[in-house]
Amino acid sequence: MADGEIKVGIISCSGEEIPEGTISRLATRRVLELMRPDNTVTICLPLFLAGNEAEREFATKHPTITVDGCSKLCAKKGTEKHSGPVSAAIVVSEILNGEGACCARSAKCQTETDKEAVWLVSEEIAKAVDSIISENCCCSVENADTGECACSKPLPGMVIEVDGRPVTIAGLSLIFDHLAENGLAADDLCGDKLLETVKIYHQIEPEEENVYKTALISAYKKYRRQ
Amino acid sequence: MTIDVKKQKIIVMPCSGIGKVHGLIAREATYAVTDELAPDSFEPMCLALLVSGDEEALAKIKKMDCITVDGCPKLCAAKNVEMAGGKIVRSIRVVDAFKNYRGAEPGTATKLADDGWTIVSEIAGGICNKREGEVS
Repeated sequence: MADGEIKVGIISCSGEEIPEGTISRLATRRVLELMRPDNTVTICLPLFLAGNEAEREFATKHPTITVDGCSKLCAKKGTEKHSGPVSAAIVVSEILNGEGACCARSAKCQTETDKEAVWLVSEEIAKAVDSIISENCCCSVENADTGECACSKPLPGMVIEVDGRPVTIAGLSLIFDHLAENGLAADDLCGDKLLETVKIYHQIEPEEENVYKTALISAYKKYRRQ
Repeated sequence: MTIDVKKQKIIVMPCSGIGKVHGLIAREATYAVTDELAPDSFEPMCLALLVSGDEEALAKIKKMDCITVDGCPKLCAAKNVEMAGGKIVRSIRVVDAFKNYRGAEPGTATKLADDGWTIVSEIAGGICNKREGEVS
């Protein structure tokens, strides 16, 4: 990442009492590790709230997204109390319409439903990250002498249907373009190459590889027909 | 393992530090105790809720004994419980548990490997085997 580029801070409540706290923590980690690793940083909420000035400066240095498990909004309220307004506030229980309460608190008991919940929330966090970066780019443009924005926009996501559920894969159209340019035919044999390439940018659990492969073949064929 | 369920529950408060595997181990050790080994004797409390000044959480922490489980030497859980006026009967540091597992590969802040789960079991067993009055 170039100097001066924005790092968005994500502060998760990680509430221990409720499953949504686990989802907030895992979704935040997913964005940090896999979805927007170059544009995001984090800090432990308890350290931020009880820390010294250096830790409290975190949210003044970075546009910050809070991720709260429930409507008590501990992360949002704590961050705003010490560092001013946050750029976005995600509430897991709202995104999941209360269905997160059925998920597991411990990773030991995680099911497919839990993973889907984490994915859904992480998608929302990633969207908020993209929006903040985009807004900050626009601000730079408005203040600049030139009329064009020099910074790159976030990669557009493409939605594919995996085993009946919509999944957004950032940059998928670019991946398809690249593979098409390299001669990958849009037939039933292209699945392995598609999966191999997409896995570099998008986390896919081993047990889900087959359903992703099917979805990617279908999406690639459709994309090439356009 | 024998737990006297007539006694008041003890709060187990992990730091859940999001940056390192130690935070996840603290969190999972808490769930191993409160959800599996001794749910009648221990319960978790949201650290963020306490730190954010929730009145109900503050009142509860002053009434009940608490075991804190911190991932790193910054001891966020222990310090915050103390500041809230809670009584810590035991303060556990995950980094100390690692001393018995030199070279272990515990996993990441997102997912524990087998060594990580082994450390979780050790910490959880330690919490269940020692009750109030013990401060390490």
